[in-house]
Amino acid sequence: MNRVRRLKFVLWSLLGLAASVAVPRFLFGLGASTNLSDANPWGVWIGFDVMAGVALAAGGFIVTATVYIFKLDRFHAVVRPAVLTAFLGYAAVAISLLFDLGLPWNIWHMMVFWNPHSPLFEVGWCVMLYLAVLALEFFPVPAEDFPRLAKVRAVLVKARLPLVILGIGLSTLHQSSLGSLFLIMPYRLHPLWYSPILPLLFLVSAIALGISMVIFESHVTAYLYRRQPESEVLASFAGASRWVLLIYLAVRFGDLLVRHQAGQLLAFDWRAAIFWFEVAAMAIVPIALFWTSRVRQSRAGQWATASLVVFGVVLNRIDVGGVAHLRPDGAFYLPAWTEIAISVGVVSAAVLAFLFMVERFRVWERRPADPEQDPLKLPEFDAVDDTWLGVPGIAARTTYSMAFIIAAAFGFGFLHVEAAETRGLEPIPVHQARGGRDILWIDGNLDGFGVTFKHVEHEKREGAKQSCVKCHHMNLPRDEGTACSRCHGDMYLPSDSFRHDWHASPSGGRVACYQCHARGQARTAATAVACDKCHKDLVPAGAAIKVKQYRAVAYTEAMHRLCIGCHVKKAKENKKPEMTRCDWCHKDKRQVIDSREIVLRRRGLTGINVVLPPPDAGGK
Amino acid sequence: MESWIEFGRGPLFRIAFSLMLLGLARIFALTVLGLVEAYGRSSDKIVNWREVRNQTIAWLFPMNRLWRKRPVYSTISFFFHLGLLLVPLFLAAHVLLWKRAAGFAWPALPQRLSNYLALVAIVAGLGLFSGRFLYPAARKLSRRQDLAWPLLLVLPFITGYVCSNLAIRPTTYDAMMLVHVYSANLIMLLIPFTKIAHCVLAPLSQIVTAMAWKFPAGAGDRVAATLGHADRPTWVKNSRMVQAAPADEVSAK
Repeated sequence: MNRVRRLKFVLWSLLGLAASVAVPRFLFGLGASTNLSDANPWGVWIGFDVMAGVALAAGGFIVTATVYIFKLDRFHAVVRPAVLTAFLGYAAVAISLLFDLGLPWNIWHMMVFWNPHSPLFEVGWCVMLYLAVLALEFFPVPAEDFPRLAKVRAVLVKARLPLVILGIGLSTLHQSSLGSLFLIMPYRLHPLWYSPILPLLFLVSAIALGISMVIFESHVTAYLYRRQPESEVLASFAGASRWVLLIYLAVRFGDLLVRHQAGQLLAFDWRAAIFWFEVAAMAIVPIALFWTSRVRQSRAGQWATASLVVFGVVLNRIDVGGVAHLRPDGAFYLPAWTEIAISVGVVSAAVLAFLFMVERFRVWERRPADPEQDPLKLPEFDAVDDTWLGVPGIAARTTYSMAFIIAAAFGFGFLHVEAAETRGLEPIPVHQARGGRDILWIDGNLDGFGVTFKHVEHEKREGAKQSCVKCHHMNLPRDEGTACSRCHGDMYLPSDSFRHDWHASPSGGRVACYQCHARGQARTAATAVACDKCHKDLVPAGAAIKVKQYRAVAYTEAMHRLCIGCHVKKAKENKKPEMTRCDWCHKDKRQVIDSREIVLRRRGLTGINVVLPPPDAGGK
Repeated sequence: MESWIEFGRGPLFRIAFSLMLLGLARIFALTVLGLVEAYGRSSDKIVNWREVRNQTIAWLFPMNRLWRKRPVYSTISFFFHLGLLLVPLFLAAHVLLWKRAAGFAWPALPQRLSNYLALVAIVAGLGLFSGRFLYPAARKLSRRQDLAWPLLLVLPFITGYVCSNLAIRPTTYDAMMLVHVYSANLIMLLIPFTKIAHCVLAPLSQIVTAMAWKFPAGAGDRVAATLGHADRPTWVKNSRMVQAAPADEVSAK
């Protein structure tokens, strides 16, 4: 396999992985398939795909400006690949957004329901329009191969200058307003990154990145297709890029000085370390390298330095988009592998589209020799029935589709069980009520909001020992007064109180199938022996609640049904209507327990940002 | 052992099942694409579509054709397929598993009927294997996978039957279930890459044959060249049968 084929093989595999993740994402939603939550709604899809993706596509407007506005014709060789990269980059951004939006089918809303006060509104419109402009700018290239489209092509070629001007306007607008998005959160973004001139910083770094991306891409494709990169043109770009980076560096540090935040630079924490790493990678080291003429002229030097800038600016976007956010204690976000798989898959799709376009159309001055054509190759046969069906249109499609399906199958296999099989709710195991027999603290999911239940008081009022069966309607074998949580094991989902597999397991109940299920019949719950055949003491005599099936209702539901039913009755008897109100039991006293434990237990119960009082203030 | 069973029923099943579906979709799509391309490339575009359609439908019921020449084989094969398709899909226990994991299900066969069908499939599968193995002519023609498949296919049926019908201890049950689950997963993993892919390719077989007449001139020579028989004339009638000696070589490709 040659270089291109090997790369395509990897890309198709990654695409397969992303395809498998996309299924639960769109079937079951973000909660089931990602680590995103209401506290951290913007994850790697925004930080990398959108923020960095838009910046990576900045090469389009810079090169078109250079060639068509400033009329520097020697740069003409890189116009087409740059516009193609920009187009595919923006298309990738749009596709990633569909993954990230909770209701992707509402993406058109911004076109109809205007909110002109929002920077996001502006970004959305600009990205949409610029994607259209890029499509029109690039369209003449594939149209060359289709004589029927000659008229359309001629019109578009004539309209090129207005299109380019429009494109530059739109680009500068939204490249900067991606920064404006974060102006709204001065207290959330770390002061090393937050700045009122964030839009300006974004624009300048996007220009530097756009230039570097042209250099980077040219070298990578030169390696892949064994062609000569446009070295001289790229050297001029490298020369320009150092000045832009210098301006960026000056503005960035000047801004820190003016805002009196320069002290943060010397702070000894990981955020300062990331800042220095980022600035060194995107500006300080590349400036030093590009200032050396030897580096600027050499292929390796150009490539390495440009990659450094690309890496640094992408890191900057990810930092602003999420890493550098100050989070409330414990609200920790690390992208799930599924999120990364989607991001990588979208990029793979864009790269594959790029390679296809480059091979199929005249994107470069010379089309690369088809790397997949080998005159000495023997014909391939159908894997199953051994027939030869001629040279396929997409060579090696057998291999690529194989890579795709195997990756997709493994993706399906290793999806989190909830992601693959959930129906929306994450299981939240219930913890037994704590306290002595006299007073119980009922807080199944340990989120600090619970109910104090005066157990002994209820018992006395309801008739001492005889009252047990009014609530405790089922006991574990050789137990009495079994805790509710033993069967009602999940906060919001019904749970299995019977545990079939435990009964059948050699390490558990060691009960053979035929001991419960009659022979010759399908082994279902309907045909099984009733529980009380073996467990004589399962249901205590006189139990008030009759259980008919092994599915126990959710913990909250069980509690509410049991308590409220009785309270309604007693409220009437005692003429105390307040007994039926929520706050009769839920006193809203925040119990102080270890905050970290709360966050751990709270996974899935999003949207409630628990703010804890200091330990000594508890109970008030 | 229980965690291994759980793995086989969870992640491994998901891998195997999705690989089976995707792989079958892939081989079907590739074959259709190849057919379209072969048709586009052919100089003579006249295909008797009505005949292709009639042949395809006729061959979906092999009893019609094979009955005359090989009545025993075709009968056994028919019943083998019957059990093979109905039992895994419509066994009550399997339907229940689907309902529990995916939330949807379909009507199941009565337990008694699926028991009989499983037994039929086991007997028929062993019969097909012994047929291939005992007849010298059939054994010569058989590739390794032809001999291995009936045995592999019968394995989950035997273990499944034992698990669902015999009075066995829980430890034995677990061992049987382990073999059942893993052999079934192996089958699903292998289906799209072996001759069992005929489960989706069967409707295309007659079109492939029809297209083969439209191959560009010299296609046969290229086939021979790839198989390493460039020196052998391709027009020898039933060349595989006449020169039986290199038959293994041919199948190994």
